[in-house]
Amino acid sequence: MNENDRELLQGLRALAADGPREAPGHIEEQLRAEFRRHNRRRKMLTWMPVFGVAAAAGIALGLWLHNEKPKPAPVPTVVAAQAVAPVAPVGDEESDAGFYPLPEAEALPAVENAMVVRVQLPVSSLQLMGVPVSEERADASVQADLLLGQDGLARGVRLVQ
Amino acid sequence: MRGLSIISSAGLITASLLAQPPGPRIGRGDFAVVRAEFGGANKVVQGAPYSAQSVTQFTQTLANGDHIQRTTTASVVRDSQGRTRTERSFSAIGALSAEKSAARSVIIVDPVASKSYVLDAESHTARSTPLPAARPNARPFRNSAAAKTEDLGTQVVQGLSAQGKRITRTIPAGREGNEKEIDIVTETWYSPDLQVVVMSKTSDPRFGDSVYQLNAITRAEPDPALFAVPSDYTVKEGRPFLRGAAAQ
Repeated sequence: MNENDRELLQGLRALAADGPREAPGHIEEQLRAEFRRHNRRRKMLTWMPVFGVAAAAGIALGLWLHNEKPKPAPVPTVVAAQAVAPVAPVGDEESDAGFYPLPEAEALPAVENAMVVRVQLPVSSLQLMGVPVSEERADASVQADLLLGQDGLARGVRLVQ
Repeated sequence: MRGLSIISSAGLITASLLAQPPGPRIGRGDFAVVRAEFGGANKVVQGAPYSAQSVTQFTQTLANGDHIQRTTTASVVRDSQGRTRTERSFSAIGALSAEKSAARSVIIVDPVASKSYVLDAESHTARSTPLPAARPNARPFRNSAAAKTEDLGTQVVQGLSAQGKRITRTIPAGREGNEKEIDIVTETWYSPDLQVVVMSKTSDPRFGDSVYQLNAITRAEPDPALFAVPSDYTVKEGRPFLRGAAAQ
């Protein structure tokens, strides 16, 4: 240890023995103000994407509501059908009588004594007869001709104008 | 091709449904009879008169285990000339039940006069329509499923000798979205003497079971008055029903 080192060591010891020292009050105040400003900016940056998404959603919702038009009432929709061709009842002269064979009639005995009944029935009844239709208009009613066999069971259906 | 046909058929039914006016609301699963007509399919059988009561029992099992059961009855009479009279109540048609009390209809088919009559008991009118000409090569309903026919021999059914046959139609797995094959079985007992089906049974897992039989069969000549329009009825001429859906 040379002379310079000894002087430095003594100075440091004297400084340490002098007790804790604080920055002047105005410097602390400036530091606190700067910290608060920095913190606010950081919070703004954190929430900015959220605000952006919310604003975009709001704009989109407004545009959708503005352009939305009243929808037409739901209409009956046939979702499937099995009958593939008009079929004349047995012995019927008119091959274009327009009856469509019901799926449930596929297995019934041949018609030997036929009757046609015009009925008013809800669309849901067509469903019961094996014609799948939408539930949305199940209560709407239609007129239809039913071709009945000797057993009173329907073989075909024809919708009436 | 089948797909196109299905689509066109669905389209036709859809268009027809859309064309319907709102109409009165009636109960779900019900129907109201507007009128009944001769169906135009009767074959003329002469020399084999009979009278009988026909009963059809229809049973459908729902997915929740519940059952729908319907019974329909009719009075059937035929004379030696081949004239027939059918008096039927419409309390039910298959799985459908009538909206109101059972409507009744009397239809007289007179091949001798080439006319049919529908009697309306309320208005005391008889609507008369000419019979369509007989067509020897009538087309039966198409059956899309493969069918196997078994001869069940001859048995006495309802007091008559009847020839039985069983037709089993099988819908292969996957064809209708079904996981397994579906067997649809029809058993028919036919009397060659009367030339009528005296009993039939149909079992279709998709729609239900039905049993039809002629009861109380009498082979005597029926009263000729049954085939005549009552004297206090007004006869109105009409067009053949089957020539168009709008025919009145």
